[in-house]
Amino acid sequence: MAFWNTSAEQPLELQSASIEVQDLEIRYGDVPAVRGISFTVQPGEQLTLLGPSGCGKTTTLRALAGLERPSGGTIRIGGHVMYSREHGIDIPAERRGLSMVFQSYAIWPHMTVFDNVAYGLRVRRRPRAEIDTRVRAALDLVQMGAFAGRRASQLSGGQQQRVALARACAFSPQILLFDEPLSNLDAKLRADMRIELRELQHRLGVTSVYVTHDLEEALAMSDRIVVMRDGIIEQSGTPTEIYAHPRNAFVADFVGSSNLVRGKLRPELARDGLVALETASGEVVYGDPCGRSPGADPTLSIRTVHLQFSAERPQATVNAWPVTVRRCVFQGDFTQIYVSWGGRDLVIRSAALEPVSEGQSAWISADPRRCVLLEGAIATAGDDFTVAPRHSPR
Amino acid sequence: MSDTAIARQSMPRVSAQAIAGMVVAAIVGVLVLYPIFFLLQAALDVGDPDVRPPTAYGLDNFAALGRYTGILMNTLLVSAAATAMAIVFGFVTAWILTRTNVPFRRTLEQLMAVPYYVTPLLGAFAWSLLGAPQSGFINQFWRALGGHGVLLNMITPFGIAWVMALFEGSVAFFMIGAVMKSMDPSLEEASQVLGASRLRTMLFVTLPLVAPGVLGATIYVFAEMLGSFTAALVLGLPNRFYVVTTAIYVLISQYPPRLPLAAAMGVSLFVVMFAMMLVYRRLVTSRSFVTVTGKAFRPRRMDMGGLRWMLFGACALYVLLSVVLPFATLIFSSLQRIAVAFPTAANWTLANYRGAMQMNAVRSALANSLLLGIATASIGTLLVALLCWLVYRSRLPGRGLIEHVAMFPQAVPRLVFAFGMMWAWLIIPLPIYGTIWLLLIAYLTVFLPLGMRTISGVMLQLDKTLEESAQMCGAPWIYRLRTVTVPLLRPGLLACWLLLFIASVRELGASILLMGPHSKVITPAIVESWFATSAELTAAMALIQTAVVAVAMGIFVMLTRQAAGPGVE
Repeated sequence: MAFWNTSAEQPLELQSASIEVQDLEIRYGDVPAVRGISFTVQPGEQLTLLGPSGCGKTTTLRALAGLERPSGGTIRIGGHVMYSREHGIDIPAERRGLSMVFQSYAIWPHMTVFDNVAYGLRVRRRPRAEIDTRVRAALDLVQMGAFAGRRASQLSGGQQQRVALARACAFSPQILLFDEPLSNLDAKLRADMRIELRELQHRLGVTSVYVTHDLEEALAMSDRIVVMRDGIIEQSGTPTEIYAHPRNAFVADFVGSSNLVRGKLRPELARDGLVALETASGEVVYGDPCGRSPGADPTLSIRTVHLQFSAERPQATVNAWPVTVRRCVFQGDFTQIYVSWGGRDLVIRSAALEPVSEGQSAWISADPRRCVLLEGAIATAGDDFTVAPRHSPR
Repeated sequence: MSDTAIARQSMPRVSAQAIAGMVVAAIVGVLVLYPIFFLLQAALDVGDPDVRPPTAYGLDNFAALGRYTGILMNTLLVSAAATAMAIVFGFVTAWILTRTNVPFRRTLEQLMAVPYYVTPLLGAFAWSLLGAPQSGFINQFWRALGGHGVLLNMITPFGIAWVMALFEGSVAFFMIGAVMKSMDPSLEEASQVLGASRLRTMLFVTLPLVAPGVLGATIYVFAEMLGSFTAALVLGLPNRFYVVTTAIYVLISQYPPRLPLAAAMGVSLFVVMFAMMLVYRRLVTSRSFVTVTGKAFRPRRMDMGGLRWMLFGACALYVLLSVVLPFATLIFSSLQRIAVAFPTAANWTLANYRGAMQMNAVRSALANSLLLGIATASIGTLLVALLCWLVYRSRLPGRGLIEHVAMFPQAVPRLVFAFGMMWAWLIIPLPIYGTIWLLLIAYLTVFLPLGMRTISGVMLQLDKTLEESAQMCGAPWIYRLRTVTVPLLRPGLLACWLLLFIASVRELGASILLMGPHSKVITPAIVESWFATSAELTAAMALIQTAVVAVAMGIFVMLTRQAAGPGVE
């Protein structure tokens, strides 16, 4: 149930441009918000900047837009330099030819829906007839055609969101920027809009950069995700790459919940292209090296959903261990089970509904291909696991 | 936007925004700092008084102030008494109207703004008519009832403090009321849940939480009192009772004038006021207490039972004393041949109004004032709006400094500022001294803080992304201002225009020094009439001024409402 008009022809042809960011640095006074990051966005690609609040993702987006002045680096859009510290270039936002959907929607309350959407076209002094067709097309695209004469103050949050989107597309920008556009909507509407935005982006084929702290949103909407923390890029890749092969403990934990298992490398036990790790308490865990070389502190990341919980001994010959259930929390879609394993806790998310009682003996197992070796030089705390799986946002 | 357009712009260039910023910053800098510079120069001038620029500099003028400790004491006494009374008025009314279930609360709250518009000038005239030792109505009644001597003498320091307190009480009410409104009631509830009595809660929770706000209001009001001029002029001059501002006025207008001494006195006064304003800002911005969270709470209102009618009476009494009684007195007097408390049929007359309207001085002064009011309001609103945008919305370097410079006149009494201006423009070859152009420049300068406060409040409430989204649609700065910023700021701009207009038409402190024989304005003309002609005629003039201001405001509101057209909320 897409919310835009699927009728064949529409006059909104958005050219897409590439974005190149090199060594971007942004400071607020003495406080660095973004510390020298580089990434590129291909024409037509949808890239998401993902990270916790304060990681610099919104600042980066605003710097792309020209609303924030970087303190170093280069930004190129469609091959043209928009900002360069070195050459003293800083093109103002209004001349960068891109468009943005704000978290607050920023629909002008003193104008009608039509005037809001027509704004970008009027700025460009397009003929009246063209403005009319394009605004109608943009409003039809977001199924708001019937509301053209309304004032923005008479719209609901979801409707304002749609108008903001129509306004951003109407003048055919080369690039669309999204600053957490769904965070003010309620959960149900957000889930619908997520899919619809994604399809809209595909249809228009416009380059877009999307900022969010919501993992599900990032996974569902992106061609590529850039995970940021403290003003640097922790990892970038496709949603599957990021999810399946997190580079380090931060990404493993931020992108879904993980158990981190630390141990000594046992090369003599390695086989089938797997690495073998022996934990402090003597358990041997096999994992996928993913072509990485383990650092001084070899660590495997095992997602809570990839640990199998069973009452009987599983058939697997490796990565299967007897455990004791410590605690069991029913959370609806899944049950979170805390088990005692080699003197410490592991967390399992199980979709099975059969009751598990505390103190019960059971087995857990994990497919070695799902136990991912993290890159060396990670800075985790002294313990060899994390047992604070973040609760799903909803 | 085409690629070539982007490529062409890939050069550093000076934007319209930067030019506007520099122009506005330069105007504000000249307006504010140029007179201050000359004020300081005059204060340090110890050379030949007839030669400019000064032939010698020194601190002798400040040393000479030692002989005027009496005036200093007068000022402190009057200001302290007035502040104490104003804070009591403000605190009591604020407490009644925010924390109790007083009847007609909303109406009373709106009425509390009215005393501010009565102005110290009208208050001083009215209370002088009511409380002059011999002719005052109150004293006439007292004697008619068999009393002896004088019941109430308003031509005293107390009278000055009383009139100022009635006027500033309204200011104190709004400042303290805001603090009381922003206090989270759960803080008090927590105390009660933990077993504290009402009294204990009041003493150990409520009062400490409100204290910083009350202290802030006290400092602000005291600083205003130090610089106040009108009431001290009307009620102090007849008995040669001087405060610093009236002393400065006399030093300048006597013959021969003692300008360096007046300048030194003015500089000392504004240094004190500036320090107090700094303390006030510190106090307001430090937010060491959670009361001021900017969040509006619903205050708990205590059920006062039958007592609530008494509280209603207290608030009504304040409005009666500060608004109703003064206006009634002025209206009554203006309709009398000779104002006495017990009118006879033969004593009623419209001659005062007729006389006032026929006076050439009044007509041209009123016309000048209205013209100046419109010009000040229009140019001032434009200037202040640009200034606010640059200070609060742009990324121009030095915007913080511009804000401080623009707010600076707040700490300088208008009379002192006008003195610096007179001194500054006398030596400029431009022939504007003694014309209404100088008054225009003066008004624009001294009302900068008033305008800034009005517009910045609205601008800071305006979500920044509303402008940014226009920028993202490709709109250049001027286009953005015209289509988004200005329409959204409309209420603030209109309020600013009105406030500047009212303030200009009623201005006294600066006008009294700067107006020339051919550029008279109305308020100083009224004061002159008070001292030179009859009280009855002056009352008529003051009421005509008030009526004209009210009518002009009415026309303005109607015009803007019509222009807004249908559909605008």
